[in-house]
Amino acid sequence: MPSTPSRPLKLGREGLLLAALAVLCVVFASQSEFFLSERNLTVILRNSVDLAVICAGMTIIIILGGIDVSVGGIVAVSAVLIGRAYQYGAPDWIVVVIGLSAGAMLGAMNGAIIAKTRVPPIVATLGTMYIFIAILFLVIGGVWISGLPNTLSFLVLGEYFGIPVGVFVIGAIYAFSWVLLRRTPWGQRVVAIGCDEVSARLVGIRVDRTKIQAYALLGMFAGIAAVLYIARLRNVEVNIGTNIALEAIAATILGGANIRGGVGSLIGTLLGVLFIKLTQNGLVLIGVSSLWETVVIGGLLVIVLVLDALEKRRTE
Amino acid sequence: MRDPLTQRMVFLVGLLLAACVAGALLSPHFLQASTVGFLLQYVPVLGVLGLAQTLVMLSGGPGIDLSIGATMSLVGLAIAALFTAGVPLLLACVIGLVIGGLLGAVNAFLVCVMQVPSLMGTLATYFAYSGLALALTGGSPIGGIPDWFGTLAQGRFLGIPIHMWTVFVPLAIALHIMLSRTQIGTHIYAAGNDERAAFLSGVKVWRLRFALYCFAGVIAGVAAIMTLSWFQAARPDAGDGMELLSVTIAVLGGAHIFGGIGRISGTVLAVLIVTTMQVALQLANISQAWQLAAIGLLLIGSVVADNAVAEKLRARARRAPS
Repeated sequence: MPSTPSRPLKLGREGLLLAALAVLCVVFASQSEFFLSERNLTVILRNSVDLAVICAGMTIIIILGGIDVSVGGIVAVSAVLIGRAYQYGAPDWIVVVIGLSAGAMLGAMNGAIIAKTRVPPIVATLGTMYIFIAILFLVIGGVWISGLPNTLSFLVLGEYFGIPVGVFVIGAIYAFSWVLLRRTPWGQRVVAIGCDEVSARLVGIRVDRTKIQAYALLGMFAGIAAVLYIARLRNVEVNIGTNIALEAIAATILGGANIRGGVGSLIGTLLGVLFIKLTQNGLVLIGVSSLWETVVIGGLLVIVLVLDALEKRRTE
Repeated sequence: MRDPLTQRMVFLVGLLLAACVAGALLSPHFLQASTVGFLLQYVPVLGVLGLAQTLVMLSGGPGIDLSIGATMSLVGLAIAALFTAGVPLLLACVIGLVIGGLLGAVNAFLVCVMQVPSLMGTLATYFAYSGLALALTGGSPIGGIPDWFGTLAQGRFLGIPIHMWTVFVPLAIALHIMLSRTQIGTHIYAAGNDERAAFLSGVKVWRLRFALYCFAGVIAGVAAIMTLSWFQAARPDAGDGMELLSVTIAVLGGAHIFGGIGRISGTVLAVLIVTTMQVALQLANISQAWQLAAIGLLLIGSVVADNAVAEKLRARARRAPS
């Protein structure tokens, strides 16, 4: 690409998002003095943890060229199994194992359907979303599970050296995902499939297996999110997980991932999650009804998609 | 019988019969004359949305409209709000259809002008529209639609709901003729089958798709009017879940998710199948969870079946001397 003298520096998506976050903070802080208080920032962080964890997996899936709209359903099923396990008196570690393995299994199921039957990922995961919600209804029976023990609450609510534990959780997940994606052959295979699946198959990459593994990984992250969700709220609602998939896709796209596959950034995704959660929190603080938050996310997504399209048109 | 699309139709008719038999076995109330009217009451709203979704998918791209249900909610609210503000109801309905078309045009602009993948573009507008529907009303419905307006969706003629006679059946026939007998239909199939070949032979592919997204918006408006007449109130969540159901119906009816393959008759059968299943489970007092599970399985199963058909078509094309 020929460099033009008028654009000596390329800001990149992460830089743009950081700038946007800064602007957002200034705007909200000028309207509400509570916004930048330590307490509120901790609240934002706690609310972001489960979405952030899922988004790490979603980024990998979108880089792979796939999509998963059933993550909300996976979170719901994992959470309801965790809730039932607690009610039967299972200890924490068993509960965590159940949550993670349920998530990973449901994710692997998605992956197997997508890889083996060649059903487009959006359709397959729409279908499994229905099935997961059905499982949720059948297990939960229309009644909230509440009053669960708080033994895992430190994962979200606790602090180490004055830093919320959530930071460490997010850090660990993203470090793990980054290493997996950028420093292992498996990650290279994921990017290769996302760039050109046919070629990837021709050079001998086991595409189906990699896909199943990637969806299982996202499922496991959704299981972790379910554990964190229960650790935070200690109940399972009937409508758990309804918006998670859309928020996760929005955050990932905001963060610079290309829905056509091959391109994506974990750091960008994390900034996208922060952006969404800051907006939701800030709007409520400055007195806008929380009902507006979907409008704002949708509007943002439209703007970002149009900007991306314009950018692409200019570079071509 | 050798034609895979005909096989598909036979399969769908079989599925419909199976759904009826299952309904009869599940509930003693199912095999009654009144069930027909009750069942057909649900068909038109879902049906027109499924037809619109079928057209968007047929034209390829790949095309999909995830915002169709949210558009329906928003248009319904707009009409009810206009009426409350003193606009005559029929004029409000016309304005509503225009609004639907404009909301569809936003999708069309994103997908066809900005070249955003349809999945992402309409997901974004789904967020925006359904959010607007909730935010503008604070989540509460707008009522006060007069009784005479209820005739459209509550009245019966020969035991069959009036909106079945006046909206769904005419629309399905018109679209069927358009697809099978007119140049527009040929162009839609051409665009869906091979975008480049269609373009090179003079089909204005993107203009066609633009028009179809706008059309889907208008149809969402039609669905909104029928819902308004049915419940005599506009709910901000009226179209929730309709986007997924309409995709399910289009795909179950044999429309290929990447375009080019599909028939109106398939979509009509698919609407009947899904509705029969829902009504049967409802009459038998079976948990809604099973309905969801059944729809999910149908959706995945029908695409799997579809791929098998496409595979067969391709195998035949390879065998045929060229």
